[in-house]
Amino acid sequence: MKTKKMNWNYLLIAPALLISVSIILIPGIMTILYSFTDWNGLSPKINFIGVRNFIELFQDKIFFRAILNNVIWVVMFLTIPVCVGMLAAMLLLGRKKTRSIYQVGFLIPYILAPAVNAMLWLNIMFSPISGVVAALRNLGLDLSSPLASMKTAIYACAGVDIWHYWPYLTVIYLAALRQTPADQVEAARVEGCNAWQLFRYVYLPNIMSTVSLMFIMITIGSFLAFDYIKLLTGGGPAHATEVLGTYAYSFAFSSMKVGKAAAVGLFISFFGLIASGIYTRISRKESME
Amino acid sequence: MKKKVIATLLAVSMMGSLLAGCGISTGSENSSSDAKTETTDESTDDSAEAEKTTDESEDITKLTDESMKDREEINLWFWGAEPYAQEAMKSILVDKYNASQDKYQLVVEFRPTVDSDMTTALAANQGPDVVYGSGPSFVMPLVQAEKLEPLDTYAEQYGWKDKILEPYYESGTVDGKLYSLTNGVSTMGVFYNKKVLEDNGWAVPTTMEELESVMDQAMAKGLYGSVTGNKGWQPVNENYGSLFLTHIAGPETMYKVLTGEESWVNDDVKAAITKSKEWWDKGYLAGEDYVNLNFSDSLQLLADEKSPFFIGPSIAFQWAASYFTDDKAENIAFIPFPSTEKVPDTTYTLGAACTLSINANVSKEHKDEAAKIIDMMMNAEFMQEMTAAWPGYWGTPLKDLSTVDTSKMSYLSQQFVQVVQNVSDAVNKGNFGYYDNVFFPAATQQRIVNIDEVWFDTTSVDDYVQSIQTEFESEFEQGLVPPIPKPAAIS
Repeated sequence: MKTKKMNWNYLLIAPALLISVSIILIPGIMTILYSFTDWNGLSPKINFIGVRNFIELFQDKIFFRAILNNVIWVVMFLTIPVCVGMLAAMLLLGRKKTRSIYQVGFLIPYILAPAVNAMLWLNIMFSPISGVVAALRNLGLDLSSPLASMKTAIYACAGVDIWHYWPYLTVIYLAALRQTPADQVEAARVEGCNAWQLFRYVYLPNIMSTVSLMFIMITIGSFLAFDYIKLLTGGGPAHATEVLGTYAYSFAFSSMKVGKAAAVGLFISFFGLIASGIYTRISRKESME
Repeated sequence: MKKKVIATLLAVSMMGSLLAGCGISTGSENSSSDAKTETTDESTDDSAEAEKTTDESEDITKLTDESMKDREEINLWFWGAEPYAQEAMKSILVDKYNASQDKYQLVVEFRPTVDSDMTTALAANQGPDVVYGSGPSFVMPLVQAEKLEPLDTYAEQYGWKDKILEPYYESGTVDGKLYSLTNGVSTMGVFYNKKVLEDNGWAVPTTMEELESVMDQAMAKGLYGSVTGNKGWQPVNENYGSLFLTHIAGPETMYKVLTGEESWVNDDVKAAITKSKEWWDKGYLAGEDYVNLNFSDSLQLLADEKSPFFIGPSIAFQWAASYFTDDKAENIAFIPFPSTEKVPDTTYTLGAACTLSINANVSKEHKDEAAKIIDMMMNAEFMQEMTAAWPGYWGTPLKDLSTVDTSKMSYLSQQFVQVVQNVSDAVNKGNFGYYDNVFFPAATQQRIVNIDEVWFDTTSVDDYVQSIQTEFESEFEQGLVPPIPKPAAIS
């Protein structure tokens, strides 16, 4: 009887397992293998070149620039949208009647396609013909688009992505905050807690698992950053906004060096894996406590 | 209740925002809403029941004909041209081909990411029958991977070698076999606003010094020196890399470099890169706005008399029609890049709008039909009709353009045909240079795209040129460099 039940379990899990193996495990293993080759993405002739791709990457200053930009991206996303999202969620928590309307309004940038958001910013904000930049110039201010400067371009790209991303965090945090037991909140208020104390000692401990999960998801997502940079600057000017994702794309589809692109892709996975490991460790610690 | 009403209104406004976003015109990209509008128009005035369907998730527009769904499809993928251009392709190519026989229908898909889509599909032995390429250098890896059909039999059948300009025909060959045909001539040159020059008393420049002088004066008056930019398409940088290599390093040096006779690390190439840096530093390339302008924006500024010049590729004629309208229509003109000390004769950087090949993994019947379709595009009549409807793109590289009648064409179309004829004459005299997307292998081409490393001082000229040499050497050894035609200075 027990054996029969086990067989059913295997059968039921088979489709999901098959899909996972087909579209994740096999391509994953192939990416690892390709990273040790000089494959151009087309040729049936694939030469094994050992660790040459990795050596070349370690000698490539643009590769390290890309990693640095990914780190900047992580730091910005772990601070700005988290703080703004949390603040907005806390403010909405007290607005029981109107918070759904605010949520719908806030979510507009999040539900717009990245291509649309990027075009909006390029044409309405950064354009020297029709954008805010043009309007300010007409007022006599001597300024140029932040995308044009090597020092500011990465922050401008991240700013656009953050503008689209923070409402998502607001909705997540608000959903978590609403799960806080009402009796704890009431008790804290009776004890005379101010707003900060209420957040720090009641709400935050209750939503900590959500906050830590989002930290990990943000970190992983930041190393996968691609769309907004590709759309806004293509990695330029002069690689100022290059991240691992755009650099891998450039190797694969412009230089026809799929082997090297796979090597860059492994680094993206490596950083994501570290973040996943940290999350697993935190989760295990929490469950043990 | 009130809350529900407000929430509903917000939801409606969100949908409105989404649709408004879809309607943004980006100049060179297709928009789904435009495509839908056109479908409606077609259904009212076209009895052939031709349809455009748009895959909104990928922004792909597909030209099909519902009345011919029983026919076998011959597929052609193309870049995401503007709706008016898609319409021209439908009436001048698709409808004519479909009417020429009753077994097949030509289905054209307009894909904004056609290059990467094509590479991925062909790698999996899939893809369309007619293979679009962004230049002969794009074709080389496909040939090595045996994804493309040799076209020599068809070349003989249709007489392509006799009618196509030799450098363009040769650029499509690999080890003596033909694999691709360039369908449109593109060259770098100078668009200028006639009114701006006249109003300021500036003569049309004939030398680089005169060009620089006018740009200096324009900038002193608060205008742009010239306008251009790489917004949305970073490879625009390569235009200026190729331009300076042709006119400062010179065709002779570049021929030797590209045939492996000389290293990239030489004084002429360094002088070309240094000159591009000088132009960048002086703000001749739209100054700080370079990264915030695309060709459409640039042409708008040129039309609005904010600049005397737009230095760019001749295919930009196709976007000029949107800005040079009414009384401005004839304000625009095009000249070849002015003479330099190194290159005194009128010389054109040979570029390609795109190449056409045949997928090796389709049936013999489909290959024959694909060849027939390519041949339809390689004649003067097609160029005439397409240029009238879509100026700037279909400059077919034919030896004989005398049968192209421009009398009924618009001003812009006439100007473009004149440019193609001038390029044709210059090519026959051997006065040409090398555009990187035609003659440079992929990784070398990418290094030219990255010329902004020098402009932004993150790489020195010496290091940059050395990095090109490193990439080129490797690709040269692998046989990835297309055949390089000899310029006049060599022959």
